[in-house]
Amino acid sequence: MLRYSSISSTFRKLQRGMKCIRLHTNDAINHHHHHSTKPKVSYLDLQNSGLSAIERLCLEEALLRHDPLNRSWAIVGTHEPTEQMHLHNEDGKIRDNNSCLIILGIGGKPELLLDVDKVKKDNVLTVKRFSGGGTVVIDRNSLWTTFIGRTEDFPNVDPYPRSIMSWSANEIFDKVFQNMKYDTIHKSGKVLKKTMVVDAKSCGTAQDSGKTITYIANDDSSAGVDIPDFRLEENDYILGDRKMGGNAQAIVKGGWLHHTSFLFDYEDENMGYLTLPNKRPEYRGDRSHDDFLVKLKSVYGSDPDDDSAKRAFFYHVKCAAFDSFEMEEVLLKDAMKVVDNLGGMQAWFDGKCRTKVVDFE
Amino acid sequence: MSAAATMMLRTASKRCFMQAARLNTPSFTTSRMFSMKFLDSHEYIKVDGDIATVGISDHAQGQLGEVVYVEIPEIDEEVEKGDSFTNVESVKAASDVYAPVSGTIVEVNEDLDSSPEILNDDPEGKGWIAKIKMSDPSELDSDDLMDEEAYKKFLEESS
Repeated sequence: MLRYSSISSTFRKLQRGMKCIRLHTNDAINHHHHHSTKPKVSYLDLQNSGLSAIERLCLEEALLRHDPLNRSWAIVGTHEPTEQMHLHNEDGKIRDNNSCLIILGIGGKPELLLDVDKVKKDNVLTVKRFSGGGTVVIDRNSLWTTFIGRTEDFPNVDPYPRSIMSWSANEIFDKVFQNMKYDTIHKSGKVLKKTMVVDAKSCGTAQDSGKTITYIANDDSSAGVDIPDFRLEENDYILGDRKMGGNAQAIVKGGWLHHTSFLFDYEDENMGYLTLPNKRPEYRGDRSHDDFLVKLKSVYGSDPDDDSAKRAFFYHVKCAAFDSFEMEEVLLKDAMKVVDNLGGMQAWFDGKCRTKVVDFE
Repeated sequence: MSAAATMMLRTASKRCFMQAARLNTPSFTTSRMFSMKFLDSHEYIKVDGDIATVGISDHAQGQLGEVVYVEIPEIDEEVEKGDSFTNVESVKAASDVYAPVSGTIVEVNEDLDSSPEILNDDPEGKGWIAKIKMSDPSELDSDDLMDEEAYKKFLEESS
């Protein structure tokens, strides 16, 4: 049995040569790597913030374009689709519909991407966001992440789509989904334990040399747990050959924004609002939404419950962010000062904010 | 007045008249030979008189990838130098396009609405985005505008 005091150092060394389950301790979050080349990033957690999806989009665009401190940001959270905290519907344009929200990219044409008759019949609120990318159907089971990068903070990330996508996959989400996989294997109880003799030259300390230790390998085929691997395919995040999140970007002078909505779960019938897009990635083929998409819940489970599983996802995102950035946690009220400087959420939304409600009339 | 003096006066007058006519034509109102110039945000500008044609560079379209949508600006819209006046969407990204000069948009390239791929095929020719009637031609002399040679060097240093 390993002594606790040697676990973290031994596992770090094992990770260099072998795949192991990463143990998440408080050290993983609180330990800041004091590395001068790490970009400084403000971290904003919007879980249980009360902001609606539309308000979050408005906030993101304000932070991208009008942050007087020109900060880089990492923002996470879930949202009630249409329950507005700030935006009111005096003019009747913002309708209440608590099932889902359809969000088109800035260039999206509703007549080509949606079953407009069905959307109108079901009175589903539809908006165009300020970023590019495709159409997503958001509900309270969608997990959002957003990264805003200033080129001065991220000199090695070219402000172009492919470079940003590669960075996000390699630097953040590869780690996130590896750790989710390990967690799931570990929780399944189907772990493969192996033993090895510590060799002080390659691993461990001199006093550990010659000792036999037990470690957990992620040889999932042997453990009988089949969890597809994460990768970036064309411009999509996929598990196996199925997409589990929608990506979009906005590029401005001096920076970029990359946000993703992950499908933890969704109502199958809501996908019926989307038509098969004309422009599709090659790996999709002619697959319908049901055959093309995968729910994170179905891959990683929801033990003990959905909310815990969602929090675990954001925990892993936070860990990955702390590994990669020099982070400063910011409260929503402080981030909202940027919107306040623009006249407040309603004024910004009604004015120059590019996120707009689609009027089907 | 002698015949010779009259002849000289006529010749001089004719020369003055022709020069005045030349100076008063639009191409000489803001007289300059203006080759293409570029911003470090990869927009280009080509000037003919007081009209500036604006688009994105070949380098930019290559980096963005397949263009799927171009927001067509509004005619008569006033733009300020340095402001974003439209955006170009490629696959996942909406990229702002910045005005190299201030003025009023007098013409837009409507073809980009139905055929955004023109911007990939010929960004510095048929893929122009908007024409701006300049309100302050002196902005053409600003330091942020690079000639082709300087822009090429800028790209090499950035890569």
